[in-house]
Amino acid sequence: MENKNDLILEVDHLTVNYELEDETVEAVRDVSFKLGRGKTLGLVGETGAGKTTTALSILNLIPDPPGVIKGGTIKLDGENVLEKTIKEMSRIRGKEVSMIFQDPMTSLNPVFTVGDQIAEAIMIHEKLDKKAAFEKAQEMLQIVGIPGERAAEYPHQFSGGMKQRVVIAIALACNPQLLIADEPTTALDVTIQAQVLDLMKELKKKYGMAMILITHDLGIIAETCDDVAVMYAGKIIERGSLEEVFNTARHPYTEGLFNSLPNIAERKERLKPIPGLMPDPTKLPKGCAFAPRCPYAKPSCIDVMPEERHFGGTHYCSCNAYDDESFHLEREDIVL
Amino acid sequence: MHRYVIKRILLLIPVIIGVSFMIYFIMDLAPGDIITQLVGEDASEEQIAALQHEYGYDRSVFYRYGKYMLGLLHGDLGTSYITKKPVWDMYITRLPKTFWLAIGASVVAIGLSIPLGIVSAVKSGSLIDNSCMVLALLGLSMPNFWLGLLLIIEFSLNLGWVPSGGFRGFSSVILPAITIGTGHMAVMTRTTRSSMIDVIRQDYLRTARAKGVSEHKVITKHAFRNAFIPILTIIGGQLCAGIGGAVITESVFSWPGVGRLIIDYVHQRDVPVVTGSIIMTTIITGVIHLAVDLLYAVVDPRIKGKYSRKGLRLAPRVKTKRGAA
Repeated sequence: MENKNDLILEVDHLTVNYELEDETVEAVRDVSFKLGRGKTLGLVGETGAGKTTTALSILNLIPDPPGVIKGGTIKLDGENVLEKTIKEMSRIRGKEVSMIFQDPMTSLNPVFTVGDQIAEAIMIHEKLDKKAAFEKAQEMLQIVGIPGERAAEYPHQFSGGMKQRVVIAIALACNPQLLIADEPTTALDVTIQAQVLDLMKELKKKYGMAMILITHDLGIIAETCDDVAVMYAGKIIERGSLEEVFNTARHPYTEGLFNSLPNIAERKERLKPIPGLMPDPTKLPKGCAFAPRCPYAKPSCIDVMPEERHFGGTHYCSCNAYDDESFHLEREDIVL
Repeated sequence: MHRYVIKRILLLIPVIIGVSFMIYFIMDLAPGDIITQLVGEDASEEQIAALQHEYGYDRSVFYRYGKYMLGLLHGDLGTSYITKKPVWDMYITRLPKTFWLAIGASVVAIGLSIPLGIVSAVKSGSLIDNSCMVLALLGLSMPNFWLGLLLIIEFSLNLGWVPSGGFRGFSSVILPAITIGTGHMAVMTRTTRSSMIDVIRQDYLRTARAKGVSEHKVITKHAFRNAFIPILTIIGGQLCAGIGGAVITESVFSWPGVGRLIIDYVHQRDVPVVTGSIIMTTIITGVIHLAVDLLYAVVDPRIKGKYSRKGLRLAPRVKTKRGAA
């Protein structure tokens, strides 16, 4: 395990609820993970699994109301961000931690030039005057592959991929130590996806920052990440290094995710989707939330909350099936 | 942009023709005319006939309208039947007073409603929000003549701080401006609130917060600029209504404005004064609306493209492609 000083982020027992008038959505339930400096963590899961909520908690940006961080700690560089004042928090946002959002079409303010929007972050954190900040903004644009003179243009004059580059430029303007990318390529078409991913990988290497990459695309994870955490119904059900999770998946849900990928070699084979839907987050079962869809589930799984087990190295998995020591998944030990 | 402005100004011509035509005919349909105003009850047939001939009332309304419009074509707004003065002179002496009142009312309305609307939107559903909405409703439902009278009683009669009526410099604008402004405030507060609520949920505010912008700036800079267009529309509309004259408030405060000019001469069936004043109001209204439309483009750059002949520039100039592309 890494030394404490090597960790940029340490999330412990994070629990976030959305408290509505007559019901409570348990969006994130007792989530813990660690991220080393300069490392990339892939956060995988279906829509509604709590990936974005987890990410927003790190910036303390959960929309409140209705979002409430019920418990846990988020240590950024050893300091708990949940105890920071509003003022301290706005010094961290954009400077220590930056975030890229899913939809570049709506992430930029339509009434300000892209240059001003990048320069704003620089002015806040680096105390530069307007002119110097704008010049730096132009440099940032060039770094993400957009001619600097286009800084004076407005977001509607850019294409989707270009806008996402601008969003990346804003996020990287102050050299953050941690970049959270929330499905940065989901809204882009495939050719642009590759460009944007390559750009992010290149910049990550250049600036040596750590990254949390939220996605439901296992291919992107395989290409970009060092560590993987799989989320289901607000919990991390399996985590470990890329090799551990991809080669020796332990959780039936993770297995289901891999099985539902199309197999290019066997084109005639049908897709094997995971049957059923994720449970209603307002009415989660007492035990394992995946049990109703799990092919290995026993009746007791519904009632017993699985403990997180250690499978060697950095590999952890929460599944009751491993109570039986002889249990193993059908798909095992696949070498990518 | 220039083409757009010229087009909009040219479009005023049919509007002026339509407005003046309607005024002329409605005035003609109304019972009584200028002749009965000018002569006593015991006037002889000959006197009446002579006057009718003088003012063109022995011929059809179309003749009088045509003659008036011919004058208008030469820039002549007509001459008052009663005072025999040019309508332009009568209007232009009243306009500054009405103008100051309209500006004053807008300042009161904007100054109150924008902060109230923003606070309501940010604290939507809270006690503050509900209080603001009650205040806005109160402003809307309070009749102007009643509020005006209350203000006069308290601030002119009891406290003696400001004059109760007439136009005597800045201090006399305060009470009528508050009277009109509170009515406007109600509409504007509600517009600001709903417009801000729409914007507050936008993703780009999250982007702004994520880069460390303070909450205060997120709301006043990033959100408000986007919420401003509907508010601008209301401001323009209310300014126009103010320039047209606030008849009731002007009456309560004996304000020598355009509203009272028009209503006084409607009673006396002085068609040129009424028509000329309303044509002027139409022109000013048209210009204010044009200014508002041009301001849209300043507030929101996406609108700018729509004013140019080429439309939105979707393919921006890209000379070189550098970087990781």
